[in-house]
Amino acid sequence: MMEGPLLKINDLRTYFYSRSKQAFIRSVDGVRLEVRKGETLGIVGESGSGKSVTALSVMGLVTGGPGVITGSIEFMTNSDRKNLLDGLQDFVEITQENGRIMSVKKDVIGWERRSEEIMQGIRGGEISMIFQNPKAALNPFMTVGGQITEAIMLHTGIKDRKEAEERAVYWLKRVKIDSPRLRFGNYPYGLSGGMCQRAMIAMALASEPDLLIADEPTTGLDATIQSKIVDLLLELKHELGTTTMLISHDISIISRLSDSVAVMYGGTVVETGPAKDILSSSTSSKHPYTAALLASIPDDYHIREKIPLQAIEGDVLDTINIPPGCRFYGRCNRVTEKIRKRCESEEPDLREIAVGRNVRCWLYYE
Amino acid sequence: MNSYTQITGEIGEFSDLPFWKKVGIADLLYVAYGGLIVTLVIASYILGALNLLKWDPQAIDLELMMAPPGTAGHILGTDFMGRDILSRLIVGIQAYFLPGILAVSISLFTGSILGVLAGYRGGRWETAITYFTNLVDSFPRLVLILLVIAAFKPDIYYIMIVVGLTNVPVVTSLIKGKIQFLRQKNFVEAAEALGLPARTIILKHILWYNCRSLLIIQATLGMAEAILMETSLSYLGFGVQEPAPSWGNMVQAGANYFMQGKFWPSTAPALAILFTILGFHLLGDGLNNMLEGRRGR
Repeated sequence: MMEGPLLKINDLRTYFYSRSKQAFIRSVDGVRLEVRKGETLGIVGESGSGKSVTALSVMGLVTGGPGVITGSIEFMTNSDRKNLLDGLQDFVEITQENGRIMSVKKDVIGWERRSEEIMQGIRGGEISMIFQNPKAALNPFMTVGGQITEAIMLHTGIKDRKEAEERAVYWLKRVKIDSPRLRFGNYPYGLSGGMCQRAMIAMALASEPDLLIADEPTTGLDATIQSKIVDLLLELKHELGTTTMLISHDISIISRLSDSVAVMYGGTVVETGPAKDILSSSTSSKHPYTAALLASIPDDYHIREKIPLQAIEGDVLDTINIPPGCRFYGRCNRVTEKIRKRCESEEPDLREIAVGRNVRCWLYYE
Repeated sequence: MNSYTQITGEIGEFSDLPFWKKVGIADLLYVAYGGLIVTLVIASYILGALNLLKWDPQAIDLELMMAPPGTAGHILGTDFMGRDILSRLIVGIQAYFLPGILAVSISLFTGSILGVLAGYRGGRWETAITYFTNLVDSFPRLVLILLVIAAFKPDIYYIMIVVGLTNVPVVTSLIKGKIQFLRQKNFVEAAEALGLPARTIILKHILWYNCRSLLIIQATLGMAEAILMETSLSYLGFGVQEPAPSWGNMVQAGANYFMQGKFWPSTAPALAILFTILGFHLLGDGLNNMLEGRRGR
């Protein structure tokens, strides 16, 4: 089923200008990713590593205010191929002095207009998104069915309201909401969090997108519901074969759903590869961050023996003053004397160490 | 002893309940009363406008001055010039009906636009609009109205335009606050991610679904305020001028005779003002509870 890439993100940089600090907050800083058709790419990383901002950049939702995006996001469907960031850079003017950014001028209206132009028909149609915290992501004053119907009428050929409503009921049934006809007329407050998320998934899938972005779809739900939602996503994945970009900090969810995984740290991708390789328990040929992340998951052994979990020392990277060397250098426990100098002063590239495996670490540069 | 509410039926049956059980009896009474008043006002307005009244509101009958209610077919009696009070009450609606609607439309329309701009666009728009609304707000309304009357003429339409404009800040800040609150909720972002055009998000999702109850209350309150403004200015002699009837100038004209025990010329319009304004307020309140109360937030 795996074919060529559907989405190819190259050197994506999404910065937010902070006026008070006179600097850019580099939320996403040089992300390179590929989502192949039919596969599920899981993106893991701790809070603030730029996962969500990457997703929002793809959706073209980083528009208002001080957001600046560079790089390219190529979106390739069977019929079409376009760069979702085409021409957006022309609307930003950055003045630099001694390497410090002095001012940023952004033609917000022009930027938004261009972004709208590019995303027309893609946003919600070819790429749709599931949000975290489903209760807040549904309009509280519109019935669940009404919202799904609206999405269907907007993005599919169905223009007849009755027919679209039938289709919405079908999708509600598809995501395993019981008595879908009754739920159709309910308002979000009348549904549980899990049901709201099912409704969100129905809404996202109703437009039959080429790419589904699930931004922490299980956050804000309790554990049993989480696992049910994951079951549902897994089932839908097998039935529909939708290409999915799954974002989560929960490695167990990623490991259940993903075909391949990208690990993010401090705004960049530090490792990509097939899920089974990256999430396996062996620590060999892995980025130290991935290894540390995996070591911080409790397993039977840790729980039985009451061994404290291994936390990653230090704090998340300050995305304003990014040090010159490796982003993980300050927290890394596998720096050898041989490479210390390079780790400190030079940033490694994302380098292919095996087929389909890329790691951004000096350890694997021999 | 504890009192338990009996819960019948299955989960989900709630949506099959008859309408009156879902909305609560008090709200229903409010809305029923308010609706009755509004219907009466509209019906009377049409009656008066089509000249279908038994008595001409301007016809002076010097034989029947200050006739008590019920005399010779004058249901509410006559005033100091022998004019039928009921007819004058009905025609008096014309003094505020269209001007009030004008005032409400001005404040809702302008207020919504400014509120959406300030709340949705934010930034410089918000600053500019906030300054503007503060400026309007800080100017005493009555002084503005008197200025307009002095500059032009004591015309109720001019007054109502001023009333409408001075109400703009209230609507603006309400809508702005609501939108800023809503923007923090993900559903606006989710709607954007769904690819809905900004127009649909603003007009349908934000203004219609989330602000409609607010706008309805503002409309009913605005109407009540317009009536109050009209009657008080007419009472003071700045609004509708004699011999054209208005509830305000009717109260004023009848007030001189009130202490002589001839209460009907001023009591009838005063009660009309009271019940009408109460009606508009209760209508707004009841509709608000119906539209918003059960939805949860």
